[in-house]
Amino acid sequence: MAFLIRTIDFTAAGREIIRDRVVEQAGLTIGRAAENDIHLPDLAVEQRHVRIDTRPDGTLAVSAVGTLGFGLDGRTVTEGTIEPRTGGEIALGAARLAVARESDGTISVTIRQVVADEGKGDVLRGFSLASKLPSKRSVSWIFAGAIMLLLLMVPVASHLLRTPVKNDPKGETPGQVVMDAAWSTGDLSLRHHSLEDNCESCHVAAFESVQDETCISCHEGTGDHARAGRLAAGMPSLSTGDALQWRIAQSLGKEGPLGCVSCHTEHEGEVRQQPASEAFCSDCHSDLDTRLTDTRLADAHDFGKAHPQFRPAYYASFGAAKPVRAAPGSTPVEKSGLKFPHDVHMDAKGGAARMAVSLPDYGSPLECKDCHSLTPDKISFTEVKMEDACESCHSLVSGRTAAGGFSKLRHGDVKDLAEDLARIGSGPRATPASNRTRPGQFARGGAYAADFGRPVRSFIDLSNALAPGGICTECHLPATRDGRRDLMAVNLPDRFLTTGFFSHEAHKKEECTDCHAADTSKAATDLLIPDLKSCRDCHLGASAVKTKKIVPSSCAMCHAYHVPAGQWSPEAAKDDPHYRPLPVAGETKVAAKLSRAKP
Amino acid sequence: MMATKAGGTGRFTQDEKRRDSDHVSFLKHRGFRWLWVALALCGTAILGYLMIDQQPRPNGGSWYGYTLGTIGFGLIVWLSLLGVRKRRITTGQWSLKAWTSAHVYLGLSLIVIGTLHTGFQIGWNVHTLAYVLMLLVIITGIYGVIAYATLPASLSANRKEMTRAQMIEALTAIDRQLESAAQPLERTEADLVINALGQDVFSGGALARLTGRYPGCATACALGGMGRQSEAEQRVVALLEKRREQLAQIRQQLRIRALLEIWLFIHIPLTIALIAALVAHVISVFFYW
Repeated sequence: MAFLIRTIDFTAAGREIIRDRVVEQAGLTIGRAAENDIHLPDLAVEQRHVRIDTRPDGTLAVSAVGTLGFGLDGRTVTEGTIEPRTGGEIALGAARLAVARESDGTISVTIRQVVADEGKGDVLRGFSLASKLPSKRSVSWIFAGAIMLLLLMVPVASHLLRTPVKNDPKGETPGQVVMDAAWSTGDLSLRHHSLEDNCESCHVAAFESVQDETCISCHEGTGDHARAGRLAAGMPSLSTGDALQWRIAQSLGKEGPLGCVSCHTEHEGEVRQQPASEAFCSDCHSDLDTRLTDTRLADAHDFGKAHPQFRPAYYASFGAAKPVRAAPGSTPVEKSGLKFPHDVHMDAKGGAARMAVSLPDYGSPLECKDCHSLTPDKISFTEVKMEDACESCHSLVSGRTAAGGFSKLRHGDVKDLAEDLARIGSGPRATPASNRTRPGQFARGGAYAADFGRPVRSFIDLSNALAPGGICTECHLPATRDGRRDLMAVNLPDRFLTTGFFSHEAHKKEECTDCHAADTSKAATDLLIPDLKSCRDCHLGASAVKTKKIVPSSCAMCHAYHVPAGQWSPEAAKDDPHYRPLPVAGETKVAAKLSRAKP
Repeated sequence: MMATKAGGTGRFTQDEKRRDSDHVSFLKHRGFRWLWVALALCGTAILGYLMIDQQPRPNGGSWYGYTLGTIGFGLIVWLSLLGVRKRRITTGQWSLKAWTSAHVYLGLSLIVIGTLHTGFQIGWNVHTLAYVLMLLVIITGIYGVIAYATLPASLSANRKEMTRAQMIEALTAIDRQLESAAQPLERTEADLVINALGQDVFSGGALARLTGRYPGCATACALGGMGRQSEAEQRVVALLEKRREQLAQIRQQLRIRALLEIWLFIHIPLTIALIAALVAHVISVFFYW
C-alpha cells in the first residue's frame, strides 16, 4: 500500500511550499517524535500519537497509540475508520491531515497547519436565539414607550392643555381630550351615551372625582331625597372596609357616600341604568326609626312583609286650606264639599243609567271613564269639570237665545250665577206668533216697552237656588257667608297618594271597581283609595316568587328616590327634566282658585 | 439498614438533606412551600370575593377591588425584580432557588388575584390591556417552566457528547474535504458546492430555528442537483450527505435552544410593557376618578 504524504507550508511572505513524498508500507505512524512516518513538531501532539492501518476491505483504521484522543472529522475520538473513497480529516494540534484516495489508488495524506480560530466565541454566539431576534431590551423599550406615550402621556397632555367649555345638556359637543377612550372602563348608560367621546364633560379636573356640581349642571331640578344631614344620620353605619375607603377617598376630595356617583355608577355598559334594588332602600328604611328617632316615616323593607299602610292625602274638614294625610289605620272621611253618591251613578239599572242610555253622547249606562280621564303620565286623573262630566244630565240651560240656541248658567262662582239668574228675569219676551206689535211707545224699542216675564221665573232666584232643596244643593252643600247664602267650596286633592306613584296604565286589564269600591259607595265622604291589603293580592316584595298572579315588586316600582311622586321614564325623556315634580301642597285646583278669590 | 441505625443516622440524613436541597428542583423547593403560600393566597382572595358584599357590583373600584389591585401590583413589581435578584450572587435564606420558586407560584396566583380584581369586566381599554399583558406574561412563564423541565434532556441527548465548538469544527472539517473533493467537478456542480460551502451554518430566521425547517438549505439543494456518475461526484455526494447530517445535528441543537429561549423574548418585553400599562392603568383610573 502506498501513501502519498503531501505537506503544505507557507513562507513568511505567504508563498505556498508543497512537498510530496511516497511511503510504501501498510500503515503510518503520526507523532511528535522524529521516528514517526509523519512528524508533527507541535507540543500538543504526543510523541507517538496516532497510527493508521489499512484493513483488508480497503478502509483505514485510525487509532490513538496512547490515551489522548485525536480529532476525526471534528469529533474527538480515540479510534475511528476512514473510508478512503469519501476521505476524512484527522486533527492533531494545529495540523489537519486530510486523508483521501487518489485516482491511481494511492492514499494521500495532505498536511496543513491551521491558524487558531480567534473568532470561535463569536461563532458559538450564533447558537443563541438572541442572534436571530431583536434584543429583549430594545423590544421592551419600544413596547413600554408606546404604551406610556399613547395611553398615558397623550391623554394627560391633551386634558391639561384643553380649553374647558361649559357642559351642554344635549351632550352633542365633541370632547377635546385625545386617546382617552382607552381609559374608559366600559360603555356609558343609554342616557349618557352621547357623552362617550367627551370624557372631560364629567371628569373635569385631573385627579378629582366626578363632582355633584357637574351632574347638576345638566340635571337641574333634581330633588334631594331628604336634607343632607338627615340622610347622613339615617344611613346605617358602613362596613369597616367601606368606611376606610370613604375616609381615604374623602380626604382626597371625593364626595361622600351621598354624592351622586356613589349610587349612579357609570361605565357599566350601554344599558338603561337599573332602578335601585330593594336593598338600596331597605338598608336605611328597614330600621330608620332606630337612627332617626323623630321621623314620622314608618319602617319598610319589603312590600309584601313590611310596608306601612297607605296614608292618602284628603281634606278632613270643609273648606280646609290644605289636605292632610290619613293617620295610619284610620278610615278617612273626606270633606270635599260635594254630594256625590257613586252608587247611584254607577247602578246599571238606576235612573242615572236610564238617563245616560237615552242620551246620544252616552248611549249606555255610565262608566267611570265618562267622568274620569287619565293624565298623560297615566298616573293621576284630570280634574272632573262639571260642564263636561255632569251637565248632560244636570243641565245648566237657562233659556233660549235670540240666535235660536240655549243660554246657560255659568258654573263655578256664585257671583256669576247671580248675574246669570238676574238676566233670566229681564230677558226678551218671546215674539208673539202674529205680526201684531204693541202700539206707539209701548212697542219694542219704545220708551215704555217692558219685558214682562212669566211668573214662574221669579221663583228661580238666587236665594231659592242656594237654599237647602234648591237646584245647587243637588250636588253642593249650602253655606252662609257674611249673612248671605253661599255654597261650600269644593276641595279635592290632585293627588291622593303623594309619596309614591301608581301607574293606571299598567293596571288597565283590571276593572276600576276591583280596587275602588265606587259601585257600593253611597256618599262622597267615602275615600275610595284602596288599601295596602288589596295591592298585596298581586304585589309582594322583590324576593317573592313570580307566578301568574304574584308580581315581585321592589320599592322602585312605586317610589322614586329624588322626587317620591315622580317617575323616570324613557318616554318622558323628550320633555326633560326626567322627574315630574311633586305638586306643591295646597295648590289644588278648585280650592286654590276659591281661596285666592277670597279677600 | 443496620448502618443507618448504628450511629450514622445523624450524619447520613444531614448529608442526604444537603444533597437533596442542592439537587431538588426549584418547583419542589422546601416541600412546595411557595405552592402552598400561593394556594392560600388564591383561596383567601376567592373566599373574600364571594363573602364580601361589594356594592353596587364587584369591580376594581370597591374597597376589596382596591385591596386585590394593590396586592397584584405589589406582586407584579416584586416578580419583575427576579431579573435584578438573579444578577446578585448571594447566599442565605433568600436563595435564588427560593426566589425562583416563589416567582413561579406567586406568579401563577396572579391569575386569580388579577381576574378577581377585574370583577370580570373586560373591554377594549388600557385596564384590560394590562390584564391581558399579565396573562400573556404568565402563560409564557408557564411555557418556560415546562420547557426548562423537559427540553434540557433532549438537548443533552442531541449533543452526543459533542460541544458546540466541536459541531462547528466537524462541519469545517467536512467543508475542507468537500473543497478538495470537488476540484474535478464541472462548473454547474462546482457552483452548487460553492453555494453549500458559502451558506452560513446559522442562516435562516427565528421561525426556521423554531420549526427546524430550512427550505433554503444550499446543502440539500446541492445534493439534489449533483450527479452520481463519476467517482468524484460520488465522493462529493458522500461528503455532502455527511455535511447534511452534521447540519441536522446543529440545527436540532438550534431548535431545542430556540424552544428553550423563545419564551423569554416574550416574557421579558411583555413584563416591561405590563409595568408600563400598569402605571398607565393606575394613573388613568385616578386621573379620571
